[in-house]
Amino acid sequence: MRIKELDHLIEESFGSEPDFLIPDDFAKKIMNELVRRTQWKADLVEYFNITSFLIFLLTIVAVTYYFANKDTVIQVITLISRNLLQTIFIFLLVNFIFFADRVLLRFLFNRWRIKE
Amino acid sequence: MDDHELIRQILNGNMNCFTFLVNRYRKLVVHITGRLIQRRDEIEDVSQEVFLKVYQNLSKYRNDCKLSTWIATIAYNSACNHMRKYKKYDETIPDDSSILGSLKEFKTTEYEQIDFHRYIRDQIELLPVQYRTVITLFHLDEFSYNEIEQITGMAEGTVKSYLFRAKVILREKLKFIVDENSLKMVKEISNEN
Repeated sequence: MRIKELDHLIEESFGSEPDFLIPDDFAKKIMNELVRRTQWKADLVEYFNITSFLIFLLTIVAVTYYFANKDTVIQVITLISRNLLQTIFIFLLVNFIFFADRVLLRFLFNRWRIKE
Repeated sequence: MDDHELIRQILNGNMNCFTFLVNRYRKLVVHITGRLIQRRDEIEDVSQEVFLKVYQNLSKYRNDCKLSTWIATIAYNSACNHMRKYKKYDETIPDDSSILGSLKEFKTTEYEQIDFHRYIRDQIELLPVQYRTVITLFHLDEFSYNEIEQITGMAEGTVKSYLFRAKVILREKLKFIVDENSLKMVKEISNEN
């Protein structure tokens, strides 16, 4: 009988609330993190969409121009192939500036704002 | 608001409802991550990760189990992964005799000072992870054996065995207080607290 009472007391203790402390603004922190992550994804998707659209537009213009004025297009291609390294460098630089503007700076700003 | 409506609102983009969901299930998640991980500085981060996973996977939730069971499963798996990552997850079958030796004594002279429930809670933290898990899910969060099986993947018999063995170990440690006066005193102190 007394063992049963002890068992009951132990079971009661098993169900008693442990003192794990979680801050009151826990839900707010999760919302901030959620916003930061979804914003980062949305920015990245926007960047890829705009870049793809610009490349697509450039291709359309080049193809149209090729039929209208073939010589100019060939000249441009020759110029690029002769200065391939410089062209790649300029392309990467412009791309990075665009990426920083659309994604990186926003991401860093959001992080800083949440920390503040 | 019931869980079904809550999920529908969140999937429609109502973020206030997600805050409501976090507040409704934060205790459950914190119990599980807290009992498994045991490091206070990591509990909040892992719990936060659990709710982010809940949000990301909410569209995949099917009504084949309760929302609390589904969230508890995510919390359990996240805590286990976290422990495996830091090599703190001991998956070996617990040896009861060595566990008994690792528990602290409950001193009769300190009855007045010691809260019995607190003493037991401290001892739970010293038990192997399997015992801590089933005690938390069964007694604290009141899941059924079947639900614990869904959450942890442990067979129902194993869950029952772990619960029984954990109780036996603690009973063994406290056997000496099973005389009329000591037990009465402990009960009085427990009720006061």
